[in-house]
Amino acid sequence: MTEVEQDPSKVTALYPDPPPFWKAFTADNIAQFDTFKQQYAARQGLDVNTILRIPDIPEDLTYLQPPAEPEDAKWKVFNEPQSLDHQLQSLEAAGIQRLASEDQLAGRHMDRAFELKRIAKSMLLNFLELIGLMGHNMHHAMDKVEDLRVLFLNFHHYLNEYRPHQAREQLIQLMQDQLDAKRAETAAIRAVTDKAKRALEGLGSMDIPPAEPEASEDQRRAVVAAASAAASGLVQAPAALNLMHNAKEEGLYWARESDGWSILDGEYA
Amino acid sequence: MGDRLTQLQDAVDQLANQFIASFYYIERHHDLETFGPNDKIPDLKPEQMQQQVDTLPAEEFQAGQLELARDLITKEQQIEYLISSLPGLDNSERDQEQSIRDLEEEIGVAEAQRLEAVKEKDEVLAKLDQVLRAIRRH
Repeated sequence: MTEVEQDPSKVTALYPDPPPFWKAFTADNIAQFDTFKQQYAARQGLDVNTILRIPDIPEDLTYLQPPAEPEDAKWKVFNEPQSLDHQLQSLEAAGIQRLASEDQLAGRHMDRAFELKRIAKSMLLNFLELIGLMGHNMHHAMDKVEDLRVLFLNFHHYLNEYRPHQAREQLIQLMQDQLDAKRAETAAIRAVTDKAKRALEGLGSMDIPPAEPEASEDQRRAVVAAASAAASGLVQAPAALNLMHNAKEEGLYWARESDGWSILDGEYA
Repeated sequence: MGDRLTQLQDAVDQLANQFIASFYYIERHHDLETFGPNDKIPDLKPEQMQQQVDTLPAEEFQAGQLELARDLITKEQQIEYLISSLPGLDNSERDQEQSIRDLEEEIGVAEAQRLEAVKEKDEVLAKLDQVLRAIRRH
């Protein structure tokens, strides 16, 4: 521990220096870059937020924007070539014998499943043969092991070829779910709207009397409460359901009420 | 638990592992035989013998083999079942693209209907609000 303290260069040597361009990120430069960006956006008539790169930028600001995309869609990471289009390496390219010809698999995927089953069965059979060979002639066993290897690799390869198909299949499933959800939501909204409409019609079919001192406070409160219950039913479907079983009582109540008010109306007329 | 394909891949890898395990079991626990008059079973001490081959009683060895074989068959059946239940075996790529397009359209229609319903709901809500306010004013 003391040794480390005595020799600080050892500690700093543990990590490499930060990349040289960190010095470019000064407050001045960032502000300058922002003005450039806005100017460019104004010139091109674009939204500032969608701009990733600005062409023809001064030398000292180049580090402030991300590098351009590789032109040929190829680049290197840790000296390993990378490519934008990920291709599944073909069996031939990997130097492995292909057990089913391309056109056998090109058609419907039923054939692929059939092929997979055949390989799976072959694997069992080859294992049995391998065990038998071990008992009789060990020198031929290596060939069998090689056969098994080819079978396994082929199986995995066919499975990986199937991946894009499965991805599409999953997309279809997701879209179907989305569609169902949308339809269910629409139906629920319609149901609540209809209920609210009926409630409104119920309210509209009777006239609300003008304010009169004789009308008891209770009556008014009841009307307000019933109306707000209907309103809350509009936004809260469960609450509306709870109200359902009260519908009969409510109906009777409304009948009584309107009777009472028609008498009052008659008096006023 | 992954998707069907991953499950299938895992199952195949397990099958390979079972192959190795079965192989090892037989290699480790078989008994010793002479095939010809020139063969000789080396006369080793039991401890030394144990290091090479741990011979099991014939019956136990048989039972072990049977169990391993049964496991292999079970795994094989599992693999075949998984193959049969791979998603969308009946659909070709063109079918899939068609159904994706159809679904896209249907989702568009459903979304329009939903917006319409929401609009209607808002209208009714506004009307209710009006009525409420009218009642309160009295």
